[in-house]
Amino acid sequence: MARRVVSDEDATRIDLAPMIDCIFILLIFFIVTTVFVQEQGLQASKPDAAAHVSLEENVSVAFEITPDNKIRYEGDEIPLADVTSRVKAAVTDPEIPVVIRAHEKSDHGTFVAVWNAAKLGGAQALSFNTVD
Amino acid sequence: MAAGRRNLFSEPDEATDIDLAPMIDCIFILLIFFIVTTVFVEEPGVDVAKPDASVDQPLERTSIIIAITADNKVVYGGREVGVSGVGARVKQLLNKDDLPVIIQADEKADHGVFSDVWSEVKNAGARKISLSTRVD
Repeated sequence: MARRVVSDEDATRIDLAPMIDCIFILLIFFIVTTVFVQEQGLQASKPDAAAHVSLEENVSVAFEITPDNKIRYEGDEIPLADVTSRVKAAVTDPEIPVVIRAHEKSDHGTFVAVWNAAKLGGAQALSFNTVD
Repeated sequence: MAAGRRNLFSEPDEATDIDLAPMIDCIFILLIFFIVTTVFVEEPGVDVAKPDASVDQPLERTSIIIAITADNKVVYGGREVGVSGVGARVKQLLNKDDLPVIIQADEKADHGVFSDVWSEVKNAGARKISLSTRVD
């Protein structure tokens, strides 16, 4: 009688080993494929061809980046550190567009630095275009 | 005597039976965590020195990532695609799902190449285009 009870218990026990094997394989797959990368970045905007002409007319603040990574503002060469203060002085209303005209041979790093400085200066309507 | 022998043989068997349920619980929790956090993004797989910016914000994890190396090579998913190859690829990916696009350009890359890639992505119909900066 006592043996029957024991064998009944044995019969209801499920062998979990194959399931654990499967779960381990899944677990290892997901551990290996997981990448914890957090990208950081900027949202830049570029006026499209149609908007280009109308924008050009009332642009009051335009920075130019020369092929040798110099920054020019109203014809004068200015250091990067001055961009923020120039933007602050010129952008009295956040609606005033600020344009960065970068030469296609200038470095991307310079462009991002100027973009960052202009943004710090309070430019909301910031855009770029490329000259050659 | 016979009963005593049976006990001798059956007891060690039961003693080595470990209860696996708590371990399975733990593994399931780990498994669910990894399933939830996994995102299948095609990484460009090239070394890019990203420019630094202080006004940057975190970008979405699931995005189409296009890299521009210091020597102006345009890379997507580990292959060099060139500026002209970007448009078709992005268009194809956007057909399946409306994903944001991230351009990872090296700070030594030419602005002209970045601008061309930007235009290609824009023309392919991407709504949100971001440029990647250094994570600090």
